[in-house]
Amino acid sequence: MTTSAQQRGIARCTECGKLSHLPDLGDNSVASCPRCNVALSFRKPQSLQRSWAYTVAAIALLLPANILPILTVISFGQGDPDTIMSGVVKLWVSDLQAIAAIVFIASIAVPVLKLVILIILMLVVQLQLPLNRQQCTVLYRFIHFIGRWSMLDLFMISILVTLVHLGNIATVESGPAATAFAAVVVLTLLAANSFDPRLIWDLDDE
Amino acid sequence: MEGRCPRCKAVLWHSAKHTDTISFAAAISGLILFYPAITLPILKFSMVGQNGSNSLIGGIYRMWIEQEKMLAILILLCSLIAPLMHLLLTAVVCLSIRLNHFPPHFPQWLKYKCWMQSWSMLEVYAMGIIVAYVKMMHDGDVSVSGGTYCLCALLLCVILSSQYFYEEQAWQHWEQNKPA
Repeated sequence: MTTSAQQRGIARCTECGKLSHLPDLGDNSVASCPRCNVALSFRKPQSLQRSWAYTVAAIALLLPANILPILTVISFGQGDPDTIMSGVVKLWVSDLQAIAAIVFIASIAVPVLKLVILIILMLVVQLQLPLNRQQCTVLYRFIHFIGRWSMLDLFMISILVTLVHLGNIATVESGPAATAFAAVVVLTLLAANSFDPRLIWDLDDE
Repeated sequence: MEGRCPRCKAVLWHSAKHTDTISFAAAISGLILFYPAITLPILKFSMVGQNGSNSLIGGIYRMWIEQEKMLAILILLCSLIAPLMHLLLTAVVCLSIRLNHFPPHFPQWLKYKCWMQSWSMLEVYAMGIIVAYVKMMHDGDVSVSGGTYCLCALLLCVILSSQYFYEEQAWQHWEQNKPA
């Protein structure tokens, strides 16, 4: 059994990482980091509330992001709007399985997986579920690392819209799902950033 | 030697000889490469005699004029502003440490550098180029252009300058040598 820094009255600055003794102050006074002057606290303030808020918002936007069209490739006046999933299917059937897998992982698997893992982690903290703490931390590190890769589809759209701009011969247009999807990506990034993984380990100390 | 968290086994500290020389050099090289990387054409596309090309900045501009303003701003942040500011602030911070001269805004610079680093997604953009290339391969002739090479070199500089930058060391330097 290890003693946490919080039990010893030591707080880590969220900005510069300096450890300092945080005395027990009243409700109205705030201690600030001696190095960079940011308000100190033992854990990220309102970590769970913020993460839940971002997560719920991201889930709500996941629907329009997946149902509405995201990209339309028009060549010689013809072309149907594609949703994220139909785009993946089209890549798959035109023998581009590797790229289809990359797009599927980045645009569908990662956002969904990220939200599921975040919900599991937040439930572990709130309901004090007896999951392995080490494994929960590994999951958190995983979603923290993988989140940015969802931007892949958006960058690809920006490249294609400019590259294929040949008037009547071929054009690529973005759809309303692109904005919704961008919001999902940003919200899941913010949700993962506001979650404090130390809350998982705090359950053992109580 | 390295110290690890007794609970989650994350590396907290390691005793490798810290040097920010590589970080500084990579940041300067990245800044030099930045302008060609964002303005030169990345891919070229031709179909029945018509040609099209794109550059990083051109992609953002087109999103903006096609009324995808939110998207344009997000892409502008993640693929242009964040990497640029990350390199610029890394260079300035390294220079301050080398000259042992710390301007009053030094702590803010360090914090902004971290923030910009977390939103810099050039490696994802590079992957986006590959996906776009393969996607259009069947419809016409796609070829890689000069911008891609500059972007790859820039990406290498961004990775090197963040890998060899030790934040805690920069903070300690400032703490020990800051003007009273």
